[in-house]
Amino acid sequence: MKLSTKSRYALEGLLYITAYSPKEAVRIKQIAEYTKISVAYLEQIFFLLKKSGLLTAIRGSKGGYALALPPEEITVGMIIRSIETHIVPVACVTNLSACNSRVRANCVSRQIWIDLNQSINQVVDHLTLKDLSERYLTQKEA
Amino acid sequence: MKISTRGRYGLRALLDLAMHADQGCVALSDIAHRQDLSFNYLEGIFAHLKRAGLVIGIAGSMGGYTLAKPSETISLYEILSVLEGDLSVTDPVMQNEESDIRTFIRQNVWDVLDHSIESTLKNTTVAGLTKSFQFQEDSNQCSCL
Repeated sequence: MKLSTKSRYALEGLLYITAYSPKEAVRIKQIAEYTKISVAYLEQIFFLLKKSGLLTAIRGSKGGYALALPPEEITVGMIIRSIETHIVPVACVTNLSACNSRVRANCVSRQIWIDLNQSINQVVDHLTLKDLSERYLTQKEA
Repeated sequence: MKISTRGRYGLRALLDLAMHADQGCVALSDIAHRQDLSFNYLEGIFAHLKRAGLVIGIAGSMGGYTLAKPSETISLYEILSVLEGDLSVTDPVMQNEESDIRTFIRQNVWDVLDHSIESTLKNTTVAGLTKSFQFQEDSNQCSCL
């Protein structure tokens, strides 16, 4: 039950922008230097984040990327869902017809997948970029 | 972030076994039939569950499988760890290979997520899950009358 590297790096990139450049656009190169993630890989990730409306690209000499929403409105859950199509542990949680079993209507294990999904969402939907960047900067100063 | 086929099918088969264990040994062919799963696939999974000490296999014409301990004492965490391996959402870290921001996110996000998943699975037992399922089944049947 692993998260993709892309999701984890997406959060790193967005956290960097929130913590160090909340007002101005940042170039990918600068983020790559800080996070040690390659420019090419960050470009792929940022393309997806732009598509899902979390980032905006700004052209020109002062161009780069900026958050498309206030950081208190961007949750870890939104970031993961922009990268992975599914965050649910088993597809039946949100859509029973995704299950091909003949006995899906009285499945003994569906309840635990629903509970597991809830405990995942409870964490990821309540952590925002704002909380995380405040905590990160405090920890850095200490 | 998905549970594998092995985890999903294995759990379903084990819960089926738990619900029929009061009748003694349960034959894999019965589980396969009730749960619409392949017999050969179940054989592989049950050999693994047996090695991990979750079920006991009994040979002979009346043979089959039974739970190795009371269903109140088997947590879902135990079962899924056997079927899925490490349940953490991230891979273990190599020493000294993390940037500050990566360490921060691991401690403040991924570890928190792992704990939440772990506690949900540890707080659910096989008995708890099968009882609430049977209760639901019974009330469905009553509402049909």
